Order: sequence, then C-alpha cells, then structure tokens
Amino acid sequence: MKDSKIKRELIKSFKKHRLENISIKLNEKIVFLEGTIDSYEKYIIAGHLAGRNSIIRGVVNNISYPEKKKTQKKKGKDEFIGSADVVIVGGGITGCSIARELSKYKLKIVIIEKDEDVSCGATKANNAMVHSGIGEEPGTLKQKLCVQGHFLFEKLSKQLSVPYRQCGMLIVITKDSLEDLKLPSFLSNFLAKYVIPYIILRRGKKIKVPLEKISRMKILEIEPQLTDRTILGISSPTYGVTSPYEFCIALAENAVENGVDIRLNTEVVGIELEENRIRNVITTEGKIRTGWVINAAGVNADEIAEVAKDRFYTIHPRKGSTLLFDKSNAGYISHNLSFFQFPMKEHTKGGGAMVTTHGNIQWGPTAIEIPDKDDLSVSKDEIYDIFEKYSRLLPNFSKKSIIAYFAGIRSATFTEDFIIEASKKIKGLIHVAGIQSPGIAASPAIAMMVADILKNEGLTLTDNPKFEPLRKNHLIIRELDFEKRKKIIEKNPLYGRIVCRCEEVTEGEIVDAIHSNIPAKSLDAIKRRTRAGMGRCQAGFCLPRVAKILSRETGKPIEKIMKNSKESQLFIGKSKCLLEETDGD
Amino acid sequence: METDVVVIGGGPAGLAAAAIASQQQVDVTIFERARELGGILPQCIHNGFGNFIFNKMLTGPEYAQHYIDLVKKLKIHIKTDTTVLKITKDKQIIATNSKDGLFKIKTKSIILAMGCRERTRSQILLPGSRPAGIYTAGTTQRLINVDGIMLGSKIVILGSGDVGLIMARRFILEGAEVKGVFEILPHPGGLTRNIVQCLEDFDIPLNLCHTITEIHGKKRVTGVTVAEIDRSTFNPKKGTEFFIPCDTLVIAVGLIPENELSKQVNISMGPNTGGPVVDNNMQTSEAGVFACGNVVHVHDLVDDVTISSELAGKAAAEYVKNQIKEGALKSIHPGKNVFYVVPQHIRCDLKSSVTLYFRVKNIMKNAEIKLTEKNYIVAQKKERIVKPPEIVKIDILPEEANKIKQSVEVSVEGELF
Ligand SMILES: Cc1cc2nc3c(=O)[nH]c(=O)nc-3n(C[C@H](O)[C@H](O)[C@H](O)COP(=O)(O)OP(=O)(O)OC[C@H]3O[C@@H](n4cnc5c(N)ncnc54)[C@H](O)[C@@H]3O)c2cc1C
Ligand SMILES: Cc1cc2nc3c(=O)[nH]c(=O)nc-3n(C[C@H](O)[C@H](O)[C@H](O)COP(=O)(O)OP(=O)(O)OC[C@H]3O[C@@H](n4cnc5c(N)ncnc54)[C@H](O)[C@@H]3O)c2cc1C
Repeated sequence: MKDSKIKRELIKSFKKHRLENISIKLNEKIVFLEGTIDSYEKYIIAGHLAGRNSIIRGVVNNISYPEKKKTQKKKGKDEFIGSADVVIVGGGITGCSIARELSKYKLKIVIIEKDEDVSCGATKANNAMVHSGIGEEPGTLKQKLCVQGHFLFEKLSKQLSVPYRQCGMLIVITKDSLEDLKLPSFLSNFLAKYVIPYIILRRGKKIKVPLEKISRMKILEIEPQLTDRTILGISSPTYGVTSPYEFCIALAENAVENGVDIRLNTEVVGIELEENRIRNVITTEGKIRTGWVINAAGVNADEIAEVAKDRFYTIHPRKGSTLLFDKSNAGYISHNLSFFQFPMKEHTKGGGAMVTTHGNIQWGPTAIEIPDKDDLSVSKDEIYDIFEKYSRLLPNFSKKSIIAYFAGIRSATFTEDFIIEASKKIKGLIHVAGIQSPGIAASPAIAMMVADILKNEGLTLTDNPKFEPLRKNHLIIRELDFEKRKKIIEKNPLYGRIVCRCEEVTEGEIVDAIHSNIPAKSLDAIKRRTRAGMGRCQAGFCLPRVAKILSRETGKPIEKIMKNSKESQLFIGKSKCLLEETDGD
Repeated sequence: METDVVVIGGGPAGLAAAAIASQQQVDVTIFERARELGGILPQCIHNGFGNFIFNKMLTGPEYAQHYIDLVKKLKIHIKTDTTVLKITKDKQIIATNSKDGLFKIKTKSIILAMGCRERTRSQILLPGSRPAGIYTAGTTQRLINVDGIMLGSKIVILGSGDVGLIMARRFILEGAEVKGVFEILPHPGGLTRNIVQCLEDFDIPLNLCHTITEIHGKKRVTGVTVAEIDRSTFNPKKGTEFFIPCDTLVIAVGLIPENELSKQVNISMGPNTGGPVVDNNMQTSEAGVFACGNVVHVHDLVDDVTISSELAGKAAAEYVKNQIKEGALKSIHPGKNVFYVVPQHIRCDLKSSVTLYFRVKNIMKNAEIKLTEKNYIVAQKKERIVKPPEIVKIDILPEEANKIKQSVEVSVEGELF
C-alpha cells in the first residue's frame, strides 16, 4: 500500500472519530501527527488510529493536549569518560539481557543507566509472568519472541541461579466471562464451552505452544478455590513465573563478571553523529566514544531516538498496578490464573492471579493510559477494580491479607508491538523500543535477535573464550538446611543475625549485597537483592537497621542514605538537628 | 540443649513471665531478637508506665529496667540479639544469633511473648505514590529515641492511636512542625490523657472524621491530600479535599499481634484479638504453650501486660512440674457492644478471682456491664464512660466462676455517645 492511500484512509477514520484539526503526514510508512486536541484520551485514540494498520512502521504523535508538560533537557558534560564498542542505553531487563548476550563475544560493552541501580524501570514493577505467547496478538513480533523466549527461561534461570517456577497458566472461563455480550444464556454457554476453547486451542497449535482443555471437574480439583461459576479452563503448561528484578540483576552481574561495564546514575542526554554514523554518546557524566548504540531506554526510548535523529515512534506510558498479599496464603492457588473476558479490554492480556517465586499471591495489573512517564501512584479505584475482578475468580480469598501494591509503566508505542531493528537512517543505532508486556518473557529472545542484527549490520562478533555462563552464587541463608546454615554462621557470624524478620534476611546477606559487583547503595537496591523489607511489615522493623548497616559499610552519614534515587532522602540528620538550625537564627 | 520454659520475646510480657516462672524453681530461657531487653519500652521515653503496679508514673525504660534487673538477678538464661525462627510440634525451638549460630533447644513449655507489629499504609489501602518519608509511628519512635535519627521537618500524622499521639508531641520537641493528626473515626483512637498531654498542650490540631486520600511525591513525600469522611458511608466527601504540604507521613493506624510463630504450632486464634485463644492461665489451645502481652491482644497499659504475664509464667512452671489445674473448660463470649474478651476460656475449680479484659465497640456513658449465663448474672459493674481505645475489666469471683455451666457472655448497655 502506498503512503498516500494510507493517509487518505487515516483522514477518513479521524473524521469518523471527530478528531479535527490534526495534520497527518506520512513518510515511508511512518505517521506524523501534529495539532492540538482537548483531552489526553483523544490524543491516545488518535495515536492508536494512526498505528492500527499493521503496515505502519511507527507513529510519531506530536499532538498537544492540555496536560502536556515540557520536559526539561538535562545538560551533558563535555569531557570524555571512556570508549566502548557498544553502548547500551538502559539497565532494565532488555538492556541487561542484551549486555549479557553480547558478553559472549569479545566486545567492550557499557550499560548506561540513569538510576542508582539496574532494574529500576518497568522491570521492577510488573507481573513477573513468563507468558507462553498464547495471549499475544497472532503475527506480532512480541508474540514470536515471547514464544521463543519463554522456552529459554528454565535454563537461564539455572545458570543465573534465580528462582523460576514453571507453574503453568489456567485460562478460566466462567459464567461471567461473556456477560458484557448480553447474550441469551444457552448461546453464551455454547460459546464458552465449545467455540472459545476451540479458537484458543487452534491459536496454540499455530504458534506451537502446548495447550489443553480442562473440564470443570478437573480444574476445580487442581484449583479448589476457584469460583463455583467456573465453566472450564484452558491450560498452558509452559507458562512460568520469574522474579523479574532478581533475574535482571543476575543478568547484569553475570555480564559484569564477563567484562561488561555498568555506569549507574548516568543519563544519556545526547548522541553525536558524524555523517549519519554514531560517534559519541553524551551523558550527564561525560562523553563516551562508540560506534554502536543500543536504545533500550524503556519509556524514554523515543527521546533517545530523537537525540539520535531517528525518531519514528512515540512511547505512550501505560500504567499498571498490582497487589501483593501475605505469604501466609501459600498453597491457596498453584497456577497462574487468568480470567477470560470477552470482549477483551484493549491492549492488555488481562493479567491474572498468581503466586510469585517467593510465595506471595499477586493480583493484577490494571492498564491505564497516563501522560506522565514516571507517575507510579496507585489509586483507590485501581485497588478496588482489581479486588472486584479477581474476586470473580477467587471469591473467598481474604483481601485483608494485602501487604503492598505498586505500579509500573509499560512502554507502549502506537503500533503496540516491539520495535527491534537497526536504524534505517543512522548507522550504528539499534532500536529496542516499545518493549511492553511480554518484555520479561521475551527478553532472552530479544537479546539474541539484537546480537543477530548487530552482526548483520557489520559488527564483528568473535567468541569470548572466557565467557562464564554461571553467575557467582549468592548465599540465601533462609534456604540452607540446618547443618549448612550452622557451618556458614561459624565462618561469618553476621549470617546469624536476623535483620529483616518477615523475610528472614541476615546482616551477612545485606553486607554481601552492598559489596557485590553491582553494589547496592540504596535501601531499595538492598531490598531487591535480599528481600529485606519486602514482607508483611514493609520495612517497619528493618528500615533503621538496614540504613545503619548501609551507612557503616559505605562510610556515608545517615542523612545521605537514600530510599532509591538521588533525592529520595530517608532522614534529615541526627535528632535535635532542627533545633540546632533554629538556634543559629 | 534443653530447658523447662522457653520465653520468646523479652518485652515486659516475657520478662514478667520469665521472672515468675524462674521463682518457681524451673529452668527458664528468654530469647529476644533485639540487642537489648525491654521490648518496645526502651523507645517509649515518655512517662505514664506503672501507675497501677508502682503507684507512680515511670518512663518506659524505667519500667523495663525494674524487670530487667529482676530477671538478671534470677538464674535465667538470657539470649538477646537472638531470633527464634521456628517452633516444632514437639516443642523444639530453632533460633539464630551471631554468637551461638543456629541452634535447637528442647523445652517442656513455651511462653509466646512476641508483642506486635504495626499496621502499614497498605493494610489501610492508602492510595498514591511510594516515596521516601512514609513511616509507621513505632518506627519513627525507635529512630528518634533509640537511634537518634531525625526523619523530617513537616509532619502529618494519620491515626490517633497512642503511638501517633505520643509521636506528635515528640516531633514538636525535636523542632519539627506537626501539621495535624487525622483520624477517620469520629472519636480518637488513643487514651484521653494522651489527647490532652500530647496534642492539646502543644496546639496540634486533631481532625476527626478525616482521612488521607492521596500521598504525593516521587522521590520524597511532598504532601498529602486530606478529605472529610462521610459518617454513614465512610467514603471521602467530594469537594472537601485539601492539600497539605509535608515531607513526612507518619502512619499510626494500629498494631497487629505478631503471631507467625504461634501459627506454626497450630494453636487456635481469636477472631477479633488477632492473637491466640487463651484460658485464665494464659494457656493456648496447645497444652504447655502459653501466651501473654501484646501477642494475645493489644494492650493500652503495660501494667495489665505484667499482671497477665505473671499468670502465664506461674502456670508454665506448674505445667512443667505437672501441677497445673485442668478443670472443666468454660467459654466466655463477647456479647452486646463487646468487640472481644480475653481470656476466652476459664478452667473451673478456681481458688482466686479471674479478671476479664474486654474492648467495647462504641463510646458509651453510664455503662452497665454484665456477665451472664442465660438469665443468671455471674458478675456486674458500672462505668461512667467506656471507650473502644480503653480496655475495660471485670472480675469474676471464684465461687461464681465455678458455678458456670457452659459459657458466659459479656455485654454492655448504656447511652451511646
Ligand atoms: C504492570 C506491568 C505488568 C507487566 N507484566 C509482565 C509480565 O507478567 N510478563 C512479561 O513478560 N512482561 C510484563 N510486563 C512488561 C515488562 O515489565 C517490560 O516489558 C520490561 O520490564 C521492559 O524492560 P526494559 O528493560 O525494556 O525497560 P525498563 O525496565 O523500563 O528499563 C529501561 C531503563 O532505561 C533507563 N533509562 C531511560 N532513559 C535513560 C537515559 N536517557 N539514560 C540512561 N538510562 C535511561 C531507565 O532508568 C530504565 O532503567 C509488565 C509491565 C508492567 C508495567
Ligand atoms: C508508643 C507506645 C506508647 C505506650 N504508652 C504506654 C504508657 O504510657 N503506659 C503504659 O502502661 N503502656 C503504654 N504502652 C503499652 C505497653 O508498652 C505495651 O502494651 C507493652 O510493651 C507490650 O509488651 P509485650 O512484652 O507484649 O510486647 P513488646 O514490648 O513488643 O515485646 C515483645 C518482644 O518480643 C520480641 N520478639 C518478637 N518476636 C521474636 C522472635 N521471633 N524471637 C525473639 N524475640 C522476639 C520483640 O523483639 C520484642 O522485644 C505504649 C505502647 C506504645 C507502643
């Protein structure tokens, strides 16, 4: 199809949706939208309309809307701080998977991450499901990579010694699944019993993912807490659950063990080109000379594309909130459970109720389009929406046992698929953008695909003979048996002192995290590595203790200890410090 | 390793129980996970402890010291900085510390005295972001009073329980600005004396029927949105929201008995207390396992903790010596206007009277308290005023208790406030 024809169709559909005064430009299957619109909702609708045709490569949505804020550009530093063969922008699961994959070759690799730790973006706040691909839209890149990636998880998790459980997924069809269609009951019953399972099973066959229809009796036998309104289920046994931030940290640590360099607290603010070739990456800490840049900047990938002069997509942040429940519910369910609903809400696979690798039950997520890329607030409505949705699956579950909730941002493009390709304009630039769900499940396949792209683009990949796939083991004291644990404490008494009572984390493990090869320098970084503060008291007990250990081990005064990034100061100083201040006046 | 009585928790409950048990000539071992004994008392540097037992107002550390000295004089094994990880069904305790490492100890009897933990913002579904600067009240108390660390300069306190009230005053004394205490209920959650001494004396506004509807701030708290509550639906009233800039939010919304260990031995738990069901000896549903202090239900006064913990200590020693009286089990139920009552059972054949501790559901004036079995009145008394935050007590005489056939009910009638 020609650009001009697509454009004519777009103008028609914009009219139909009463989206007026918007200029639509098309160039090589890329849509550029300009103009002004009176609500963010319409901004999203316009973008999605423009990206709907699968032939479109990308949508740049520059329409202004009332809440639109001007982002302040940070300044870079001019002096050179190093050079690398490959610079990876972003230390999320995407960037870290790629780094670890590329560390198999003789390359000088640097990951640049703006936050104080790896895994601080979407990678730390998602649903941890290793999807099998059955929920993804057929024919998309994200589906293909998800199917490939999820089969690799078990082996990778072993190599990196990260928890992984192939628990399987049950798609549950209940009497409420089709209620929005408002059909006579015999008809919806027929659809639920025969048509829907048939369609799903056929999809599975097509992508070579095993699926099985499970009768009502059988499903209630394996998940006895499921609602009595259950009609039947479809099982996807290769589904799993990981611990995404631990997986990401492990990838990064293993990458570092294999020679990768990580620069934290460093933000990429510009890219210098030389005749349409990557020359230097400009960061807040200085310049890095390189020929190759991998843009894995999550929600900011469009901004990186912009400074590299090849922006052909806009990221629209889609927030998702998730609820976590106490471990005392262990055994309540054993599979990932997803509630089948038709018609589906747009752009979500609907999430699920599941058990994390550490035994907490998790419900969610929601899906809300928001203008602010770092708005991680959870609203009361979201909490109640999730309660309602999953109470339909598990009506007797005690919601009182909630211990935490959190939000993450999906980096969605308007074409709603991953964009993984070499730039058509700038030599040396690789886009790995729009990595929304299933970005976790797909991550191993994404990394392999990027390595292939680099090779095709002319980067020489010589095997690194020293590559060590196994990550150095970290001690997890609570998991040791009695005798082993006893012996370890004899060697290092700090493993005998419990600092986090809920998750049984010892001082020794906290000290290990602070001195690991990607040193944990904030409370949250320690939490992600050790689980200190992740339990039912949510750090009420261990916060003062962990903060003091961190201060002791790093030699920083207590008021310089952060919850996470730079301005997240926990304390203001010693007690009476405020009185001292006023005394001086 | 072996011992007769293991006491888990070295707070006022554990200390009192251990002391009494040891005085009955049994071998007692205390495990305390903190480095010092005293439980939460060392961080409660205000006065108001021991009015009943010592007839004077002591500070928390002073009160605790009395029992620490006592315990140290007796032949009690004290293991501080030691966390109990596990209790097995055959009464083995697995614990860990940095001196002895991981170890097992076999015991004849166990006294659970683990106290409680605080409810967090998640348990009350407080919406908004998750920046630095949100602390539970007890954590702020420990930070300021024990660790000497100051947390912020502009403070909002959610919840008017005792810890919240005490901390409101504490923040003022540290030079911070306390923007107000917000309470969702129409009445305060803490003791009246704390409302007067901690808020009114310092001109700190108490806003009843108010709650926080959103926490703001990405890195550190920048403020909260507060709204008035509709008294019938308990939802925030539209249009009443206002923003309060602050850098610290203190959550003082109650305590939860810490019973993860108790659950390992499968003892029955009370529905409204959050702690184990106990009899007048503070024995749980598992023979030889006793419980006392805040692990059973949240106490407002430490004197009550000490008194009931001494019962537990005495009974545990008797259990070890096979002298415990196992009379017929009669149950005590909460009746009209009563939220819970402890103990939930009494064993008859009593020689001395039993004190029942209970919490009412509403504030009531001229309250008539009755303990009845069908139409028979086992005990009764009058109180000028009863309030949910303040424990009410009633004694049963032994001769009356021994007459109980099956079960009695505690009820309160009076003028609703
Ligand atoms: C609520 C929710 C639930 C989800 N559930 C699942 C699921 O169950 N299964 C699944 O497979 N996927 C799931 N996903 C998707 C998955 O979380 C993401 O696809 C994945 O984490 C994306 O990883 P990433 O590395 O691309 O992005 P991120 O983790 O966001 O990493 C990007 C990194 O780039 C850094 N960065 C950005 N700009 C710059 C700059 N200028 N300079 C330096 N660094 C920069 C950021 O700080 C960040 O650390 C979910 C997502 C959400 C939000
Ligand atoms: C802020 C505040 C103000 C108060 N003000 C007053 C007042 O003015 N007057 C008054 O009379 N009362 C007051 N009280 C109430 C009274 O202090 C408490 O009810 C009492 O301290 C409870 O004693 P406890 O021993 O049951 O619990 P705690 O004091 O909490 O002790 C329990 C101990 O068990 C330990 N423990 C728990 N689990 C383990 C484990 N697994 N292994 C080893 N050790 C463990 C804990 O570390 C802790 O030290 C106040 C309470 C608070 C919080």
